[in-house]
Amino acid sequence: MSHGHGSNPLAHPEVQMANNRSYVTGFIVASLLMAAATVLVSGHLLPPFALLLAITGCAGLAIIAQVYFLLHMDLSEHSIWNTVALIMFIPLFVITIGLTWWMFSQLYLRTMPMIPGMPGMH
Amino acid sequence: MLVNLPGPWNPWLGRLALSEIPYTNPILAPLFVVVVVLGLLMVAGITYYGKWGYLWKEWLTTVDHKKLGIMYIILGLVMLFRGFIDGLMMRTQQAMAVGPHASGMMGAVHGYLTPFHFGQIYSAHGMIMILLAATPLLVGIMNIVIPLQIGARDMAYPYLNALGLWITAAAVVLIMASLFVGDFAHNGWFGYAPIFELAYSPGVGVDYWIWTFQLVALGTTLGSINFIATIVKMRAPGMKWSRLPMFTWASLSANIIALTSFPCLQVAIGLVAADRYLGTHFFTAGFGGNLMLYTNLFWLWGHPEVYFVILPAFGMISEIIPTFSEKPLFGYVTMVLATFAIAGVSWLVWLHHFFTMGMGPYVSTEFSVATMLVGIPTGVKVFNWAFTMYRGRLTYTAAMYWALGALFLLLVGGLTGMMLSIPAINYMVHNSVFVVAHFHMMLLCIVYAIFGSVIYWFPKVFGYTLNEAWGKVMFWLFSAGTALVFIPMFMEGFMGMTRRLDWPFDPHWAPYLNIQVLGILVYVLSILAFVVMLYVSIRDRAQHRAAADAWGTSRSLEWLTASPVPFYNFAVVPQVNARDEVAWRREHGLSAQRASHYDAIHMPNNTGIAIIIGGLTFVLGFALTWRIWWLSLISLLAIIVMMIYRSAKGDPGHVIPAEEVERMDREAERTMPRADLPRHSGGVLGGAIAYDSGAAGEGSANLRGAPDYRP
Ligand code: HEM
Ligand SMILES: [Cu+2]
Repeated sequence: MSHGHGSNPLAHPEVQMANNRSYVTGFIVASLLMAAATVLVSGHLLPPFALLLAITGCAGLAIIAQVYFLLHMDLSEHSIWNTVALIMFIPLFVITIGLTWWMFSQLYLRTMPMIPGMPGMH
Repeated sequence: MLVNLPGPWNPWLGRLALSEIPYTNPILAPLFVVVVVLGLLMVAGITYYGKWGYLWKEWLTTVDHKKLGIMYIILGLVMLFRGFIDGLMMRTQQAMAVGPHASGMMGAVHGYLTPFHFGQIYSAHGMIMILLAATPLLVGIMNIVIPLQIGARDMAYPYLNALGLWITAAAVVLIMASLFVGDFAHNGWFGYAPIFELAYSPGVGVDYWIWTFQLVALGTTLGSINFIATIVKMRAPGMKWSRLPMFTWASLSANIIALTSFPCLQVAIGLVAADRYLGTHFFTAGFGGNLMLYTNLFWLWGHPEVYFVILPAFGMISEIIPTFSEKPLFGYVTMVLATFAIAGVSWLVWLHHFFTMGMGPYVSTEFSVATMLVGIPTGVKVFNWAFTMYRGRLTYTAAMYWALGALFLLLVGGLTGMMLSIPAINYMVHNSVFVVAHFHMMLLCIVYAIFGSVIYWFPKVFGYTLNEAWGKVMFWLFSAGTALVFIPMFMEGFMGMTRRLDWPFDPHWAPYLNIQVLGILVYVLSILAFVVMLYVSIRDRAQHRAAADAWGTSRSLEWLTASPVPFYNFAVVPQVNARDEVAWRREHGLSAQRASHYDAIHMPNNTGIAIIIGGLTFVLGFALTWRIWWLSLISLLAIIVMMIYRSAKGDPGHVIPAEEVERMDREAERTMPRADLPRHSGGVLGGAIAYDSGAAGEGSANLRGAPDYRP
């Protein structure tokens, strides 16, 4: 069943918000970040642990750029649910990535040869 | 090709070759013949009776949530049977092969199944039971019940609903195809790194496993989006959050879990696919790969998934017990909070599946404590159910038997889970059959709740009740089977028997294994009882015609509309006044009230696109499994084209005029037995209940002392 906006999908506010400039900007920013990460890794431009941090940072920035430029998240009435979903995702993100990171750091202490440059390793 | 593919490959057929069809296998070849013959018989029968048009128009293209739900349930029951046969084979193999001197046949050194074949059986069993039996059964029941409980005409996205069903069906067909074309994974339903890597599992088994997983994950995620949207957006006027029936609450929390966790699974399995197809090294032992990362990613989904399946079961119990206790659910608010507490904590415990990996005391402690925390909200629920029954007017119907059985299993499973959550104990029994017995208690709790709900909601969907006596016979046989299989299994676990043994080497296990085979035989009897129950009920359906309120004591909104439910659900969308609307109306003498004014109803149209896309996803999965690139590409493109086509076309739906609705509603009214006469009376307090409309006002005897549950 169609609700509210009739049967014309183009009338949806999400579609109305579409805007070439922000898509192109989002695409360029995300591509640049991806290219930066690729160059850093393929050229071994940093010590291994710093490299990990750097590409994690690039990924984080790319997420923000995409959420802002491509998904148009904000508090307006038509995208509030998207934003709620995003906010609910933050604790999950912290739990899953955070606990995984903690688990692996403890596991590596006991099982792995050290990664050069990683603090806490001996 | 990016990877070193062992064995032949050609551009047209990929890895497919005649030799991949196991026509020399003494088990599979006859089975294949049986399946083909049965299939031909079915096709012939449908053609003979001229039912193709009916099948296509009424079922295969339907977007009606009730019919989709019924098909989900049929799919789930068929797979439950298939999984059971796998279980039967494992039990008989272990009983035959136990001890160093056990003889072997059919190519096996011990017993009758070779280790490779045995591995495929337990892998398929686990995968099928959790994802292709329990999940479709639960999704099917949610599909039928949720829109009715909230007073909606259909799901929020009827077409998406059909798509979810047919993609799940594609997963089912894919795993069944692995029986007869090639083989299935042999490394367990959850997979192990690095054995599932191409170098160690060069066949197509793991590929079947990957694509089956991906399809069912996709189907379930689509379903969860639909359920959440439906519950948030489609409630009838007056259906405030504080009046939402408990099953709907439970389903909401379960589907939030599904929506957030299934993507983890898809990523994890997708990375395995990348390793096997693109030659990456996510989970290999060398080249920077990390074996443990797979286990971590998998259980990151795996544990939330177990709560995805148990929470709806809790919801079902919460509907059945109040109905047959003639009391509102005790502690509604705490029940909702407990449900969401369980859903939240389910994200914090996944690591208890691999305590033995060795990440040391701090990490283990956190996850151990978090796991034990689950016991608190679960305990709240159990007490709430107990208090609901306390001083209630209990009626021991077959549905109530199953609900109470589920409570008992929950207790056993929960307490053994508590034991397992203590790392020191876990180190002793991890990977033993004790763990297997633990999670079977929990999964059987779900199965009990499902059988209970099938009996409970059957009259709503089909308009007549199932045979009570045979339902109880089935219950006792099933319970005896459960006891005979799983009590010895717990004991073997304490004796140190590890899981997944194609050859149980210690002869001391023999008596326990033999008892388990006996249990399996009793299970077979219970399946027969189920078939008899269906047969007898269908035969006698005229005598057991159900009223709108089929049990006479029902409480939530779905019991307001006619039984069987008309395709438009409610002739007039009801105004909700209380938490247990039907009980409230009955109590206020409003049950007999009919709508005086009808409106035209706008309904979605049927569409063949969902089943076509479902079929194409099967082709895609099959082509990817066998690495037939051209076919993969074509089917993928066809899926995209179909989706664009459907989006562009849209669905204007169709309108049923008000007079037509009125006519159908009056007709349903006429053919139903007189509503509101309880079909059974009695209970602990004795005495029949006079539910004559009007007489059952505030002060009537049966309501004396009942708390006011109107929010
Ligand atoms: C909600 C229903 C539950 C289901 C469906 C379920 C299912 C499972 C499954 C499938 C496994 C084993 C997976 C494998 O190794 O193949 C497992 C293991 C485990 N379960 Fe549960 N479980 C449930 C509830 C609980 C509860 C309530 C607890 C504790 C409070 C618990 C604690 C554990 C622990 C600690 C293990 C790991 C055992 C080991 O591998 O050594 N489970 N469960
Ligand atoms: Cu778990």
